Amino acid sequence: MTSVPTFGSDVFGGNEGDFEGDEFTEVFIPEGSEWRFEVPFKLTLKLIVVEGVGEIFGTELPNNVQLQLSGVKYAIYSPLEAGCKVKYSTVPNNNFAASTSDDSEVSEYISEETPMNQYLNLHLFLEQKRQKISEFNMGNISEQKKGPKVLIIGSPFSGKTSLSKILCSYAYKMNSSPVLVNLNPRDGVFSIPGSLTATPISDSFDLESTNGYGGSLTSGTTTHNPKQPLVMNFGLLKPEDNLELYKYQISRLGIAVMSRLEEDVLLKSSGLIIDTPPLSIKDVTIIENIISDFEIDTIAVIGNERLLIDLKKKFKHKINSSSLDIVKVAKSGGVVELDEKYIRDIQQESIREYFHGNFRNTLSPFKTDIDIKDYKFFSCFEASELNSNLAFLPSGDSFTPEESEASEKEKKDRFDLDKYYRLLEEPNASNLENCILAITQLPSRNNSPKDLLNACVLGYAHASKVEDTKQKIKVLVPFPGAFPRNHLIVTAIRYTE
Amino acid sequence: MNKDAKSIIVEDYAQSLTELTFNSRPIIYNLTIIARENTEVADGILKAITNRIYKCIPDQKLFALYLLDSICKTVGDPYNTLVGDEVFNIFSHVYLLVNNTIRQKLVNLFESWKTFKIKGTNLPLFPQDQIDRIFSFLSQANVKTGTNPAQLTNRSLIDDIDTLIPIFQKKMYEKPDPKLTDKYNALTQLKVLLSNQAMKLNELQAVQSQLNAIKQQELNSKKNMSPSMASSTINPIPSEAKPNNKVNELFGMLVVSGLIHVDQSLKPGSLPTYRLNFPKRKYHSTMNIPNNVALPSNSVLEQLLVSTHAKFNVSGKSIARTEYEQLKFNELNRLSIDSTGLQNFVNSNAASASEKSLLYEAKPSKCGTCGKRFTDDEDGTQKRRMHLDWHFRVNKKLSTSNVQSRIWYLDDYEWVKFKEASLSEYSTADPVDSNNPVETVEEQKEIPFVPVPMNETNMNNKCLICRDQVKATYNDDLGEWCWYNCIRAPGEGKNSRKIVHATCFSEANRKRGADDDLTNVVKREKL
Repeated sequence: MTSVPTFGSDVFGGNEGDFEGDEFTEVFIPEGSEWRFEVPFKLTLKLIVVEGVGEIFGTELPNNVQLQLSGVKYAIYSPLEAGCKVKYSTVPNNNFAASTSDDSEVSEYISEETPMNQYLNLHLFLEQKRQKISEFNMGNISEQKKGPKVLIIGSPFSGKTSLSKILCSYAYKMNSSPVLVNLNPRDGVFSIPGSLTATPISDSFDLESTNGYGGSLTSGTTTHNPKQPLVMNFGLLKPEDNLELYKYQISRLGIAVMSRLEEDVLLKSSGLIIDTPPLSIKDVTIIENIISDFEIDTIAVIGNERLLIDLKKKFKHKINSSSLDIVKVAKSGGVVELDEKYIRDIQQESIREYFHGNFRNTLSPFKTDIDIKDYKFFSCFEASELNSNLAFLPSGDSFTPEESEASEKEKKDRFDLDKYYRLLEEPNASNLENCILAITQLPSRNNSPKDLLNACVLGYAHASKVEDTKQKIKVLVPFPGAFPRNHLIVTAIRYTE
Repeated sequence: MNKDAKSIIVEDYAQSLTELTFNSRPIIYNLTIIARENTEVADGILKAITNRIYKCIPDQKLFALYLLDSICKTVGDPYNTLVGDEVFNIFSHVYLLVNNTIRQKLVNLFESWKTFKIKGTNLPLFPQDQIDRIFSFLSQANVKTGTNPAQLTNRSLIDDIDTLIPIFQKKMYEKPDPKLTDKYNALTQLKVLLSNQAMKLNELQAVQSQLNAIKQQELNSKKNMSPSMASSTINPIPSEAKPNNKVNELFGMLVVSGLIHVDQSLKPGSLPTYRLNFPKRKYHSTMNIPNNVALPSNSVLEQLLVSTHAKFNVSGKSIARTEYEQLKFNELNRLSIDSTGLQNFVNSNAASASEKSLLYEAKPSKCGTCGKRFTDDEDGTQKRRMHLDWHFRVNKKLSTSNVQSRIWYLDDYEWVKFKEASLSEYSTADPVDSNNPVETVEEQKEIPFVPVPMNETNMNNKCLICRDQVKATYNDDLGEWCWYNCIRAPGEGKNSRKIVHATCFSEANRKRGADDDLTNVVKREKL
């Protein structure tokens, strides 16, 4: 063996040297500064760290290896005294089909002001906690404690996701392995949008993948170690679209995550990092739910003094009993407000990546036809409908005599389910086509509505074409073989190939 | 006896020593006899034994030392005189490398050396200065050797307190009472003071009488006391069946609360050392302490803590840490953060270079492909090697055929039981490796094919899984048209034209197989 083959070297390696002078632009990032750049989807940024250490949201970049980034808003931070020298060039991105004309340039600048110091301090605090806990657990087999469970809260576009990545990456670099919980259905974390996931971070993030996390397991070999997420369906993009469902799924996720921690000593002492949708003090019930479901002991509020004070007031009892720390960290000046289009593009890309993989690892999804009559379709119920229908829903406890307990229970279950999912009476092109369908883990013969609600996600299918006359749907599923389950939840997520 | 014969004896002896991999009385006996019969090569034999002690793995060192002990005790001269000046070195070498159980055996062995007299004489087994050195070595390691048992020392009083503390702990836990807390504080403070070695005998006696008073009081108030408790000796308390657990818990709490910092040196087998982190606010003493007693120094406290640790065996055995873990441990312990100072710490702590290095230079070896960092020690080198192997395999695999699909997510029950380690490149059950043999076996087999059914006119077909075109080729031997590298889809009749690639099928099947394995383990309800 003469040399280990590396990323990209076979693709561009031959020409790199030749074009160095004219094609690549060099940037020097001094210690403590970061180079912020945005790459539109239609371009691919080829990036090489030439000298020193550079990291993107805590994930250290390899030296002299070309990364290819597209549709990203990243910042390379230079943590060490020697600074960091990078070079980059751009080429058109052939993998991205959309042909829009807006932002066609890479924008970039260097900033000296970053809150990275605060983020590092927060990490050091958490890591010290992890260490003490793991030390304690070693001496006390009977009574084991859990590591820090951190909830990150902030306004829209305050850098919550970036902070969660940084905290996870740093923890991983110091041999910890926290579980990253994503409660923002807008993003797909190791999954697609509309999902709520929990994923142990046992390896670094894959910066080249859409969203910069990486992927879940495939049937073959991937250039980056995959992660194993637990996926809960929410199916909508904002918590307020169905708060009941959102809270329900959070608590289901919480139960699973807490059980997982009990099974694994490293995860247990490493704790949790929880990324959230933008929450304000108005969402205090959601925050309370998260705190109790995930046994939160640390809240990091990003750059929002008001929220910090409100939360401190609200959780005074917990702070006084030392069961909760609330700490404020600064918002990074590098956070950009994402426009709707960019968010949609990123969502589409992450769905594409789920089925087809990316340029490093191409995946082969499976197209098949299914008969509508063999399947049960449920839709995620949207809150606006709930409000209008609220008057007709039965109130909490029923005083009906227990004449037929079973059917009564069934009825009640059905009522329960209606708040969350509703059976599609007439599945057809108008309500299915282009939808992402969540395939639940629920076994086909099980018809209990409660179990459907409790079932987590096995995978996603895309209804690419619905033929009403034939009563057939052309679906795209990630993995070849028979269509695995017959309960499908129609999400509000649309996708076109 | 000529020189060659001598060296042959020594060589044989050295050879026999390698069999001493367990505590075998016959072997030790035999080797002792041989040593007695060959005193003319005593130095050679001793050299072989000491070599063995120094070179063999730590777990076996004790047995070679037992042999040395046996020879010196039963044969005596010249062996004990020859090895005499080496004894300390040998003993301390072994002691530093072994676990606590063996250490206890070593201490027992040493006890026997102190009193042993060579047969028929009044001479000690080993020179007194060596014995003294071992003694002071052991007392540095806080091992109690059997000297001066009756003498009143700080240590014995501290032991007294240690037996009382769990009782108080339990009481405070069962029935919180400010008086109890005061007493408890007094006790702990007393313990702190006791570890100051400057205390004089009369002071010690004063402390002891106070201690006895507390003890007496405790005992009187305790209903189910055992008779043995009435005496002032420190017997284990039967009603306190698990004082160790209580103390362990307390100790753990102290570590977690940050009151005690734990340090452990890199030397394998070394005991952790403990450092007190004094609370900023001092508690009020309810006891009259002589003003002339100076505050105990930290090092004394550390010793005290180590002795409590050794006594109650907090973590059972010393923790094996890698160099990186050790560094991380020390750096993080140095940070003093508490809940009230957290915001301040986050705002204004300027991470030192050594703290930062935990993320970077402390793992100096960076993967040239993905930037992952590894330590320079054995563990890191090993991981790095596996990591590079993994890159190599992945690239090799990707450069050949690598048709793959995303697989289904686990359900919550499977996920909870999932072993995260199986994802990493360090996993022993590497999917790439475990699959390889299977694939090579398949390759060795004949190329599978499906004969085109008789009534079929369309020679072109496609794989049901990957949907790729499959064209029929003529097989001369069979005289039939066949679709090569394909098998008929399972459950299809002889005349069906539904085929799948053998590779697609095995790929799909393998994944389903893995899924089934998992479901077998977790007994999940299946369709």
